[in-house]
Amino acid sequence: MSGIRFEGISKSYRDAVALDRIDLDIEPAGLTVVCGPPGCGKSVLMRILIGLETPSAGRILFDGEDIAHMPAAERSIGYVPQSFALFPHMSVFDNIAYPMALQAVPRTEIAARVDQAAGILHIRPLLTKRPSQLSGGEKQRAAIARGILKNADIFILDDPLVGLDFKLRESLMEDLKDMRAELGATFLYITSDPLEALTMAEHLVVMDRGRLVEVGPVDTVYYDPSWLRTVELVGFPRCNVLPARLDATNAMCTTAIGRLSITLENGAASADAMVAIRPEHITSPASGAAPLGIGKVTLVENLGSESVVYVQLHETTLVTTVPARALASLDLGDPFPLAMRPGGPIVFDRASGRRIGRVTSVPEESRDG
Amino acid sequence: MADVRVEGLRRQFGSLMAVKDVSFVFPEGAVTCLLGPSGCGKTTLLRMIAGLERPSAGTIRFGDRDVTTLAARRRDVAMVFQYPVMYRTLNVVENIELPLANDRTLTVAERRRRVDEAIEILELGDARRLHIDRLNLAARQKVAVGRAIARRAAVTLFDEPTTNVEVHAKLALIRAFKELRRHVRQTIVYVTHDQTEAMTLADQIALMREGEIVQCAPPRELYDQPNSEFGGWFLGNPGMNFLTVQPAEGSGFAVDGVPFPLAAPLLELEDVRFGIRPEYIRIAATPLPDSVPARVLRRAVAIGGQHLVTLAVGGSRIKAKVPPAEGPSRGAPEVGSNVFVVCPIEHAILFHRGKRLAELPRRLGSSAAAGAPS
Repeated sequence: MSGIRFEGISKSYRDAVALDRIDLDIEPAGLTVVCGPPGCGKSVLMRILIGLETPSAGRILFDGEDIAHMPAAERSIGYVPQSFALFPHMSVFDNIAYPMALQAVPRTEIAARVDQAAGILHIRPLLTKRPSQLSGGEKQRAAIARGILKNADIFILDDPLVGLDFKLRESLMEDLKDMRAELGATFLYITSDPLEALTMAEHLVVMDRGRLVEVGPVDTVYYDPSWLRTVELVGFPRCNVLPARLDATNAMCTTAIGRLSITLENGAASADAMVAIRPEHITSPASGAAPLGIGKVTLVENLGSESVVYVQLHETTLVTTVPARALASLDLGDPFPLAMRPGGPIVFDRASGRRIGRVTSVPEESRDG
Repeated sequence: MADVRVEGLRRQFGSLMAVKDVSFVFPEGAVTCLLGPSGCGKTTLLRMIAGLERPSAGTIRFGDRDVTTLAARRRDVAMVFQYPVMYRTLNVVENIELPLANDRTLTVAERRRRVDEAIEILELGDARRLHIDRLNLAARQKVAVGRAIARRAAVTLFDEPTTNVEVHAKLALIRAFKELRRHVRQTIVYVTHDQTEAMTLADQIALMREGEIVQCAPPRELYDQPNSEFGGWFLGNPGMNFLTVQPAEGSGFAVDGVPFPLAAPLLELEDVRFGIRPEYIRIAATPLPDSVPARVLRRAVAIGGQHLVTLAVGGSRIKAKVPPAEGPSRGAPEVGSNVFVVCPIEHAILFHRGKRLAELPRRLGSSAAAGAPS
């Protein structure tokens, strides 16, 4: 199985640094999601891997061989770009078969592989149609099939679901995961949608401003992040992040929602910290968690099975997720008692963004609920 | 303010029926969201109400006024589009005020009051004297909302106003809309393809599919009590699970060969499916009453730290939501493990050829089943 290693990859355009010394190993035969906000460098990194851009510095090792300056056509990498133009004068079958026909794959093999991909992507009945007869989602499925049927071990999917209907995205995510398992190939999947990243990823690469923030198995990155930026970028709804000041003992910190007991892992560089409290760390006092006080509802987003509740507490807005079943109808301005599950929230150094510890409890004295 | 009554409303584009003889009442003073996938006809329906699209057949009334053949400007409608339509040489106050200036029945004081009210609720105070060109897209869209509401038109229409706004600004816009609604009651028709937006904003949602309104209900009811498989599937992230039902030996029915011991009056029917939402499925390591064996195919972190678990049950796949928990596995079973799932019948809905069956089967041996016809 083919492994990819990026070694010190940098890319600059005049004065602008798009990528800054990227060192990254991609797990073979897995689905790695590269996520980060627009402009973080994820697409540039992929374009360098494909060969559409040349790095300013560094090496890309593909099974141990440096391919950083190899022509794109010689790299065995499949690519599904964001928007995919199908040939209007060809049938769906011929569109999907096109890259294999260029690679001179025998006709019977082409037919078998198109059929396999069309089965997974639910487009078998469409193979004889022209692209103009397809809906937007059907075109995207055909496009994905075409990108995926190249003879390659590595496939790059560059935000393939962007702009599609929500329901279509839901089913295509499932189909793409099936597809990867069936092909046994390495998938590199680019997205800036945090929920899509979590749904798709086996491994997660978090990027920001041209740098790697954090890399690892998706559960580790979510539950055990080392960097504040990771918590800010990975998770839905967005994580609550509050400035905090450590006291002299380093066992407590003060935040806008009260004082919190903490344990530090390696000591603190400075008293200025940040506390990251995921929506699921905030709950109702009825659960037995430590009360934080009574806030005021500023918005309730109804997602169906759960509601995202925005609550203002001492000038800070906290976001929490509540199962819809457990929630009576709430109006803007209604009182909302809040509590925190200790053990979840993480403390970061403010200047560096590096993790320094965890919140352990909410002391009695800071409870006013 | 008036209700909107459409009757037998149709719009045909060549051989395509975009809106199929829709008869419906949009109640006075309520927010009705038209929700559906792209191409379902929701925008065409809205544009016919606005007077921007001519119906192929049918009538449109605002209260007792027939507006079917009236030009848009004579209908007394206010509209907010996907992109804010603004007077670029005017400032925020002037933009909101302009449509009011044409209304001779308004006093200057009342005009001012409405403008100030909109600006305050929409938190545009700091921008009141700024020219529209200085505002970003989201702020302009706020101005468009303020202008539409300040008019107090008979009917106010929204055509996917948040589509082009980035996520954070979208939340602010939704909050502003809700806040505005608490102060000013208007008859509002709001088109969106975003179910969260519809569920958050609407008094009632009219769910559309292929040119028809398939169900209309308040958001919670539409989610909990879909009258079709389409409704169960379309709402929810992910949507409802469906399992095919076969008659079982003796009493009850079976899903993929797995028996459900229920008194089931549906055995003569073909093509019956059992629908259950992911949040109601329970997963256990050992058999429970009414549980069926399953295998864990995938798990992923989902909304609010829940787990989305994909399971194989017989030949079908279902998805379950598991709440966040402490511990190394975080409360969710490992991929590849064999587990038992319970699909509680009290949260299930049975569908026959895609339509909801009125009668639910009852559990054998329970008190409810005692008097059930056999």
